[in-house]
Amino acid sequence: MKDFPKYLLSRVGLPQSHTLATYRAEGGYRAIEDVLKKPWKPEQVIGVIKDSGLRGRGGAGFPTGMKWGFMPDITKDPRPRYLAVNADESEPGTCKDRVLMEKDPHGLIEGCLIACFAMHAKAAYIYVRGEYRLSYSRLQAAIDEARAAGLVGQNILGTDFSCDIWMHKGAGAYICGEETGLMESLEGKRGHPRPKPPFPAGSGLWKSPTTVNNVESIFNAPFIVRNGAGWFKSMGVPKSTGNFLLCISGHVNKPGVYELPFGLTARQIIDEVALGVWKGRKLKAFFPGGSSTGLLPASMVDVAMDHDSVKAAGSMFGTAAMIILDETASIPQAMDVIARFYDHESCGQCSQCREGTQWLHQIFRRIAHGRGQMSDLDLLVSLSNGMAPAKTICALADAAAIPTLAAVKHFRHEFEECIRLGRDPLAPQPQHAPELHEAHA
Amino acid sequence: MTKIQINGREVEADPKQPLIRACHDQGVDVPMYCYHPGLASVGSCRICQVEVAGAPGQPSRVVAACRTPVSKGMVVSTDTPKAHDARRECLEFLLKNHPLDCPICDKAGECDLQDYSFNEGQGEGRSSEPRRKLQKRKSLGDVIVLDEERCILCSRCVRFFTDVTKKAQLTVEGLGSRSVINTYMDKPLEGNYQGNLADICPVGALTSKKFRFQARVWNLSKTLSTCGECSRGCSISVESLRAKEVKRIRPRYNAAVNQWWMCDTGRHALAPLTRPQAPEGAVLGGRLRGAAVRGYNGLELADDVAALDLAADMLAAHPGAVVIVSPFATQEEAKAALALAQALKATPQFVSPAPNALKDDLLHTGDPCPNRRGLVEQGFAALEPAAALAALAAAPSAVLAGERVLELLGHEGLAKLPTKLRLVAFDVETSDIPALDIAFPVPTHVEKSGHWVNLDGCVGVLNVAVPPPALVRRLDLQLAALTAKLSAVPARS
Repeated sequence: MKDFPKYLLSRVGLPQSHTLATYRAEGGYRAIEDVLKKPWKPEQVIGVIKDSGLRGRGGAGFPTGMKWGFMPDITKDPRPRYLAVNADESEPGTCKDRVLMEKDPHGLIEGCLIACFAMHAKAAYIYVRGEYRLSYSRLQAAIDEARAAGLVGQNILGTDFSCDIWMHKGAGAYICGEETGLMESLEGKRGHPRPKPPFPAGSGLWKSPTTVNNVESIFNAPFIVRNGAGWFKSMGVPKSTGNFLLCISGHVNKPGVYELPFGLTARQIIDEVALGVWKGRKLKAFFPGGSSTGLLPASMVDVAMDHDSVKAAGSMFGTAAMIILDETASIPQAMDVIARFYDHESCGQCSQCREGTQWLHQIFRRIAHGRGQMSDLDLLVSLSNGMAPAKTICALADAAAIPTLAAVKHFRHEFEECIRLGRDPLAPQPQHAPELHEAHA
Repeated sequence: MTKIQINGREVEADPKQPLIRACHDQGVDVPMYCYHPGLASVGSCRICQVEVAGAPGQPSRVVAACRTPVSKGMVVSTDTPKAHDARRECLEFLLKNHPLDCPICDKAGECDLQDYSFNEGQGEGRSSEPRRKLQKRKSLGDVIVLDEERCILCSRCVRFFTDVTKKAQLTVEGLGSRSVINTYMDKPLEGNYQGNLADICPVGALTSKKFRFQARVWNLSKTLSTCGECSRGCSISVESLRAKEVKRIRPRYNAAVNQWWMCDTGRHALAPLTRPQAPEGAVLGGRLRGAAVRGYNGLELADDVAALDLAADMLAAHPGAVVIVSPFATQEEAKAALALAQALKATPQFVSPAPNALKDDLLHTGDPCPNRRGLVEQGFAALEPAAALAALAAAPSAVLAGERVLELLGHEGLAKLPTKLRLVAFDVETSDIPALDIAFPVPTHVEKSGHWVNLDGCVGVLNVAVPPPALVRRLDLQLAALTAKLSAVPARS
């Protein structure tokens, strides 16, 4: 694989990379200084982010600059406005934001400041996944350090720009990673996603204009501001610019978080970055972007890893969390685990999602434990079509339905085999099928 | 107002209202569970899905009508295969864990889940999975019992407390398919508005302890009426089993008075309406069976025409009568009482008991006189029970007229009145009052038609929900007959 410039993880390997001293030594806070002292206009910041083509790294791939531009005009709408940083990284397979928060928290802080400046936000709230204790403490320490250095709080760097950054710890719910669920949770309520409209930019946190961004999206902002949109666009592919953090897990020799430009094929990533499928086995299937994206069979391994190519292949780029399944892996077993996850994490508001996720899980469980019926496969498809697309308040029902549809589409034969034999031939050991309530315990 | 198209019909709709409201206003039925016009909408049940045409060249979308704002030129169809499919799918999910115990469910017959399943659902379930096993009868206080299995988690009950009484008491507990409704910290529900939960619950999850297993709802006849427990005069529906016995009182939507709600005091005020009659041949121990006249052995049942003649003669022989009516008197009865008072040259008055402690910020006014405003407007003077008793003690004769007039004056005080007082009473029931000479039975307010005027001047209507017992005649006719006998002596000859 040819060499390519890296920036996202450029400071991650340094000693004491989480401290202000290291960050400053590496040119940190130069971007916000530039923005405040030159001074830039907020619209200029949004303009350069728009020009750069940065797409959100939280899963949907929505252009970040455009999202920032949705905030209402400050001259016409006097409400306070907020930035919420989604650090509730809980998509199965995803572990990239954690690296940034633990190893380079000041990069995120600078990103928050730039984003808040661009959107006239008076405060940023970083919603950190509850299990990420080190992320939380490192980030909190970094905020304290930055505040002491006059980089967070009132009159930053002696200018009239003031911005506060607050931390909030999640309590372990996947649904709080959904932007409106996150806002409800931040407000101290149950993390039940809100119906849209109104959209967060119109009525978000405390009914004020709010933008919710992923950690990695925000993290990109200082680099773009310092190096320009042209530099950013020189990386990746035309419609997915810059580098992204890949989280690769599963049956590979070298799982981990890697910084890569868009456009490499899944085969290149598996073979050259993760050093191939482990134990010399063959690839069976892979999830390109986390468990909510449809899994793709090995035959589609030459798909380029960028938003549009993966979409064209019938899946989603998601959070770039590739999960690799080798030839010994059982798809019914994998789907049992995944369906269980969504059953467990559905917030329970919408009928289709609350009942549907449980139903899918029950069916997958039966099939994986040899108690399936042939009619179950059509039922799975029919139920998934009843849950998605966009039939519920948030996308969790879709997230459960999409991998189900993909698994049945690409691996129907494997499910049929399980049902025909009355057992899963690829199951690791003799199984007993616990009832559902047991599985929840 | 903006123009939209619903099922091919061009209509005007309010852009501030959700689409479902526009459909309902046009008489187009869109099913709903979580949506309730009196509560904030959450858009969670997804049963109200309708098809909205996309922009030119775009495919149509299925949207939740309760969360979709009305926008100009919108083309909405509720009756297309796509819309029906979306709702059918939604119903299938809702029924997946529903116990389908309709035969023993109080809600059966008025259950939205049952009705929409019948209209839209599929005949057969496709689930072979075990249904959720949850608590079947969880007490939520004195009024409501929760069946967790039947609950479809529409959260109307949760929002009733947050939006209407403004004191959150219920919440959804647990996540996803393990969600259940519960009170905070397992405390029983409190407040005077719990009964509304049984009304707004679209399924049989929240049922009223008082109505549970009392009647199948399809055997209930509903009569439009007005509540008499306070001067608010909430619009109600009186539901009687086979038009004989009042089984349930429920609020009826009235934008000017009570919206969709009513208090538990009014809802549960069934005892005065379902009082049994006195034993055969007896005067005391239940509702009056007919006119009663004091004889040698106390009050004895008598012929009502003869009793009326006697009353007229007695009142004529003892001029200076006091006329006091009940605050339950309808406008029509009050008019008749007014004529009687004129004939007797008496000041028209009504008993006005002290306000009770039930007053709240929502509906209950604390004033136990349902027709206070109407009576005052007709020229009746309010009289505290104590003052009324004092006036009675000093008077040569008196007429007390109207439902519960004796009760509101106080049976104890009445029993102490001097026997030289010539007392004629028209009431539902009487007690052993030595001064009482002649008593006539009257119907309760669910047994007659008439009107009350509430504190804001809104007229509430009373209709006959159950027929009064035999020999119980309308109070206004009885009073008119008495007036005629008193004043129209030439007419006799």
